[in-house]
Amino acid sequence: MKKLLLVLPLGLFLLSGCVKEEEVGGLELNFKATWDDAPLVMLNEYDYEGGLKMTFQRFNFYIADVQLASESSTEDLIDIEFVDFDNMASTSEAEAGYSFLVDNIPAGDYATFRIGLGVPADLNATADSDYSGSHPLARASHYWPGWESYIFAMINGKVDTDGDGQFDDSSVLYHTGSDACYRLVEYTFPVRIEADKVTDLDLVVDLHQLFEDGNGGYIDILENTNTHNIQDLSVANQVMDNFTQSLKIVY
Amino acid sequence: MRPILSLLLISLFILPGCEETPVVMDDDNPVMGDLEHIAYEPMPYDLQIPDFFPEMIIPEENPLTVDGVELGRFLFYDPILSLDSTQSCASCHLVEGAFTDNLAVSFGVQGLPGKRSSMSLLNVGYYYNGLFWDGRSPNLEEQALHPIEDPLEMDNTWEVVIDRLQNHEIYPEMFRKAFGIKDREDIDRDLATKAIASFERTLISGGNSKYDRKFLAQEPGVPFTVSEFRGRDMFFDESEEGLPDAQCFHCHGGVLLTVNDYRNNGLQEVDDLNDFEDFGLGAVTGKLIDNGKFRAPTLRNIALTAPYMHDGSIETLEEVIDFYNEGVHYADNLDENLVIQPLGLDEEMKADLLAFLHTLTDTTFLSNPAYQNPFEE
Repeated sequence: MKKLLLVLPLGLFLLSGCVKEEEVGGLELNFKATWDDAPLVMLNEYDYEGGLKMTFQRFNFYIADVQLASESSTEDLIDIEFVDFDNMASTSEAEAGYSFLVDNIPAGDYATFRIGLGVPADLNATADSDYSGSHPLARASHYWPGWESYIFAMINGKVDTDGDGQFDDSSVLYHTGSDACYRLVEYTFPVRIEADKVTDLDLVVDLHQLFEDGNGGYIDILENTNTHNIQDLSVANQVMDNFTQSLKIVY
Repeated sequence: MRPILSLLLISLFILPGCEETPVVMDDDNPVMGDLEHIAYEPMPYDLQIPDFFPEMIIPEENPLTVDGVELGRFLFYDPILSLDSTQSCASCHLVEGAFTDNLAVSFGVQGLPGKRSSMSLLNVGYYYNGLFWDGRSPNLEEQALHPIEDPLEMDNTWEVVIDRLQNHEIYPEMFRKAFGIKDREDIDRDLATKAIASFERTLISGGNSKYDRKFLAQEPGVPFTVSEFRGRDMFFDESEEGLPDAQCFHCHGGVLLTVNDYRNNGLQEVDDLNDFEDFGLGAVTGKLIDNGKFRAPTLRNIALTAPYMHDGSIETLEEVIDFYNEGVHYADNLDENLVIQPLGLDEEMKADLLAFLHTLTDTTFLSNPAYQNPFEE
């Protein structure tokens, strides 16, 4: 009988260990785009340096290698995803932003958030035809064979230089790509993932800041209308550097 | 013990008999399972996809089978789908026109003109981002529902079509082989459109055009003229000799030569986005920003699909190139790649671009026996 009493608690203990599930929670990443802190709405008019006015029709980019890390562990949240503001055609849509829900994250306290802007080299060695359907990398519009690279970020807009209200005087077609344009950003702040709850994280990028020239001014968009030349990625690299500075986390 | 066993056996014999409802075979109770004597042995269809094409996503609820595709081909070519049995899907999607009808707009059974030009069905199995010029159908199965009942197309009802199919000489057996139905009464529009969609997914063109062989399959020894090379460089904006960007690949890029997106390509000048004659995608999404946007079609076999644009308003490829070079009309949502006019193509450059577009022709697609009219075999 004594033996039985000894074995019973041991068995219960082991059994409970077998069936115990790890406590997990979710994290919603909500991306928002602004222009001088106002919600970025496609086709709305925005002031640019030099008395120019701009409208935008595309602002989208890849994110990759998204992680949460604590002192003891690192959780991979997203390998690759596509953030797309192209359909933000109203203030309410722009304010709502573009979201991804990552679930099954072990509950706990994390101290570091990492996010890649663009497509990391291993994935950038693939092509759109390697993927199908809704996979983020299946977008033919975002693979440039001549570069052998994905377009990491696409900023397409039109410019009104003569003030006639028609945005037909110039265009801005900034497409960043190639391995050299990939940026990994790390933020240190406390993030708590609670069991069975979703934690919200807003990531805000101000598009105007992406046009900074690195010398206290802004890129001359009439001189630099596009970034299609793989031999000269200076503007593309500047845009990606600006991106790392512009992207702010609101938690 | 013996009496109990006897009772048990008797009750087991009687009980099933009590529960069974006798079948009365009359008009109100047709014979069930009239197709069950026909073998149902579905064989997976071997989809021939070029190595450089992406994998095609086939819906789990409609796997490709040999019999399903064959049934779809028959239905695609059969005019009994239309009100007066004069028009089939193939009436507006002729194989010799790369599955277009080479008309500005198609005409339905009542002789009424349609609203838009017939789209090529080439590689349509890859259109995951909506079907029709305005993207209003989410998939091929749903898309195939509409032309039957459109008064500007077949002007029929599915009830009539299903009745014809159920009482047809060959179709009940074909549906049985394709889907394993037990009875002709099981034929319905969902199965009919599944079959048509299956056939459409097999309409793959790729690998045999001169461009494919030279650049995608990278076959050695495929000739390409200087003019064709220059045209390609402008098409993809990859010129090392300073040729202008013809702005083609933004909409017609990727191995499918379409980015599967919707754009306003400047056919109509409007001061207000509400002024478009045809709202296109905007009518589907309800968004002003989408008004005047239409699907950017594939340019594979483009030389065979005249006239061009969603409204068939441009007759030749030469005129298309002229249009994009210096004829695009402004609207607030005009595709941003087309804003700067003219593009700067001179006559030689336009000829080069045209030469390249002709390298996209795949005549083997047109003669593929699997795509032909089964009623003419």
